[in-house]
Amino acid sequence: MNKRAAIQLTIDNKPYTVAEGISILEAAEQNNIYIPTLCAHKELTPYGGCRMCIVEVEGIRNLPTACTTPVSDGMVIRTDTAQVKSMRMEILQLFLSEHTSSCLICDEKDQCREYMGTIRKAGVTTGCRYCSNDGQCELQDVVESMEVKDIKYPIYYRSLRVEKEDPFYDRDYNLCILCGRCVRMCQEVRVAHVLAFNHRGRNTVIGPAYGRTHLDAGCEFCGACVSVCPTGSLTEKARAYEGKPDREELTTCTFCGVGCQMRLLVKGERIIGSLPAQDSLVNDGQLCVKGRFCITELVSGPKRLKRPYQNYNGIPAEVTWDAAIEMAAGKLSGCKPEEFGMLISPNCTNEDLYVAQKFARLVMRSHNIDTSARTFYGAGFNAYLNLMKRSVPLSDLRKASAIICLGLDIRFGRSVVGVELRRAFRRGAKIVTVNPRQHSLALISERWIRSIPGTDVETLQSLAKMTAGKSATRKKADDDLSAVAEILTEAKSVVILVGSEFLQYNRSALILEAIDQLAKNTKAGVMPLPAQNNLYGSLLMGAYPELLPGGAASNSTKQLAALKKIWKTAIPRLATKWNAADVSGAKKLKLLYLVGESPPSNGGPPADYVISQNIYPLRSEVEADLVLPAAAFTESDGTFINGEGRLQRVKKAVNAPGDAMPDWMILSKIARKVGVDGFDYKSAADIHKEIASVVDGFGNFNKPKRDARPLDLKVEMRTGKIKRVAPAKADKQRPFILSTSVTEHTHRGFPLSRWVDGTRELFSEERVDINPDDAKKARVNDGDEVIISSTEVKKTWPVRIKAEQAPGVLHVTLHEADVVNPNPHPVKMRKK
Amino acid sequence: MKEKEYSDIFSGFKGAQTDLIPILVRIQDKAGYISEQSVRQVSGFLKMSENQIYGVASFYPKFRFTRPGRKSIKVCMGTACHVRGGLFLSEAVGWKLGIAIGQTTEDMRFDFQRAGCLGCCTLAPVVKINEDVHSRMSVTRLKEILEKDD
Repeated sequence: MNKRAAIQLTIDNKPYTVAEGISILEAAEQNNIYIPTLCAHKELTPYGGCRMCIVEVEGIRNLPTACTTPVSDGMVIRTDTAQVKSMRMEILQLFLSEHTSSCLICDEKDQCREYMGTIRKAGVTTGCRYCSNDGQCELQDVVESMEVKDIKYPIYYRSLRVEKEDPFYDRDYNLCILCGRCVRMCQEVRVAHVLAFNHRGRNTVIGPAYGRTHLDAGCEFCGACVSVCPTGSLTEKARAYEGKPDREELTTCTFCGVGCQMRLLVKGERIIGSLPAQDSLVNDGQLCVKGRFCITELVSGPKRLKRPYQNYNGIPAEVTWDAAIEMAAGKLSGCKPEEFGMLISPNCTNEDLYVAQKFARLVMRSHNIDTSARTFYGAGFNAYLNLMKRSVPLSDLRKASAIICLGLDIRFGRSVVGVELRRAFRRGAKIVTVNPRQHSLALISERWIRSIPGTDVETLQSLAKMTAGKSATRKKADDDLSAVAEILTEAKSVVILVGSEFLQYNRSALILEAIDQLAKNTKAGVMPLPAQNNLYGSLLMGAYPELLPGGAASNSTKQLAALKKIWKTAIPRLATKWNAADVSGAKKLKLLYLVGESPPSNGGPPADYVISQNIYPLRSEVEADLVLPAAAFTESDGTFINGEGRLQRVKKAVNAPGDAMPDWMILSKIARKVGVDGFDYKSAADIHKEIASVVDGFGNFNKPKRDARPLDLKVEMRTGKIKRVAPAKADKQRPFILSTSVTEHTHRGFPLSRWVDGTRELFSEERVDINPDDAKKARVNDGDEVIISSTEVKKTWPVRIKAEQAPGVLHVTLHEADVVNPNPHPVKMRKK
Repeated sequence: MKEKEYSDIFSGFKGAQTDLIPILVRIQDKAGYISEQSVRQVSGFLKMSENQIYGVASFYPKFRFTRPGRKSIKVCMGTACHVRGGLFLSEAVGWKLGIAIGQTTEDMRFDFQRAGCLGCCTLAPVVKINEDVHSRMSVTRLKEILEKDD
């Protein structure tokens, strides 16, 4: 930014020098002069709605509001003359007549605050002591600074219903002072336009159209409105009555590959909430519902594992750490390299992943280590990694002139990217979406192409074909697809965003190849937005049978020699062909070590002996033989690499519950017990230092320096065969196309909705999404069970009617099982 | 309204956000009210969110969001009518029909609104039913009229 010219002005008879172009309020704040204000907020444009910040300025008639009046040279400002004070008091009195303010002027307020026993938690707020925002309220601060003694206007309680029907936050508009911060946040910053002022005058109320719930109105539940509310009108359900946090800790979110920077709010030994950090590189002060609301519930759930235990025929028996480690070491030493397998979550830190693969290779002398990413991407894994090799940083969205979103949903996951997209739209960038569903992106799209599952490969292939060659030679047709091709080829800079919609179809590899071709033709930058937050890191750390740390192949003599120098032990060459897909196969391993993973459920235990190291117990039907409690990402130090290739730091904010330990520490203890050298790590920083000798860009643990860079990987991953099957088409017998996907909202092998209640309402999981017209024809209502059958499957699911669902297409998001194969495929449906 | 009627309404507009109010006026003139469906259509055309459109529309008392009844009752609340008991008349309508201002009876027979001033203050209090102005109204007479129309 250019350095602005300095100007001289006088505030309250004292001279000050400030920069030109700022407001009087900013000038006062910079010089520690207090001007009361309720509607101004540093992230929002000045509004002048609350009128509390009025000041006297010589030469200006009336009293201008400090937040909307820019400073000028020689200005003489007075902020607390008798007139200003009395007018502010008058305005504040009007506010208070409509705000439940009995506690503010109560004679016994101080005693009450000290001795309040149980009166606080009330369903309806009738005073500050009953309000969840007590002690953090900006209105309270203003009232205190103005020394209000009584309220002279009659109390007007609006008797609006307290809205508690939506997940994650409650709304009590009886406390609302109509400062408009939430509306401006929703409209200006998030550009989501869910909140608006409805009606006018004293009937004004904030909310969506026609009194809909926020869920129905398309709210993303980002919580930005809750963060800026100066009163207790908007309160987080999980953080209500928690009071002020003791401290904040900067960390990285682990719920998807965007890698948002955020602040964890800590009170005592507990995480009570999370707020976005002002990080302009990735999330620019924004979070999505997962980062904003899910962390508290996830990491402080009552079912967190606290002590190691083993299962004797299904009966859990707690053991000490020493005994557990001895048991694990004993079992592991009796296991041959090819009989061992380890699954590690791509949600683990780089340090955990590195130690885990070192553990497999040195302790077990085996390359059998893999992550769930392989089964998630299936046959399209290589094609997806190819897209990651073309990745561009997220900040490129700010300069792109055309953006094409393929199978991207920005409502709940990745909504940070959605904010950037809507800003780009406002800037004039052309946005195109290809998606079977008409979700929130369709509104801002120049063209929206409804690709129907089953024939979407052909759609994308023809789009790729249309963009090839020179513009003049191209055949011009008057349909959406050629219009899109036109937009993409005409644009100066194109960005392709890849979501998760197509990733789990049988022919995903073909789709991803078509996207690759499209990117080549239009010279576009690609942003694959992986659902696994540390997918990039898991590849670089070598947590795959084919890969060594640094991204070299497992049979690369050069890299093996380099590792031998660091590890002081030779590592065997890759011999087995095992990978994660084999866990559910017929050939059982002798020992399966799960680090933050849950095995696919196909009945029966996945191995003779299962060790599970996680933050929660596994599903009961696949109970592990030995369970080791691990620390969550809020309880351990480490680094992640986000989808862009940026190295980010995670910090320990609180201690792990009970005896839980970070993954790397447990693994190192077992390794030492087995008697293998090279696991004497004192901290994650030690491991990071060792990684730096193999992987480039590492080394500065506390302030990572590695910027966004495309994936550099020359190894082909072994995947299932790419199915070149014919497109799935509905016919008379089987009139619907069923597409299924496994939920992408997961953490350490668990669907988020399992541990975070609110997400069950948001993510439509284990339910059949159906178009309203189809539902009408089939005579089914929301929640009715339907039987979906074809020659391959017969399943029963409840129905969820969704307007955005394409007609003739059914979609089910599954929790943890495999997708229904073939995917997608034609089915028939009847009411149960 | 049907799809085609919307394209008639949108014709002549370029889809700028400033077209919102003229479009809403056209819809209100044609359908008598702003339905949820029409807000959705306008949202698609102007690429504005439905919530934003509703926020703007609900600011203006001209726009109504419930379907008008066959007979529209307007109780005058101007100064003269207010002094001569307009409020009682308004309450009487509410009691009689079980609806509040801005609503329509379930059988679609009446809708109920308040008016600022109908310009015939000497005849206060007045009630306008469709185009007929009933002058020097009393609660009893108003009830009779409403019953007669039953």
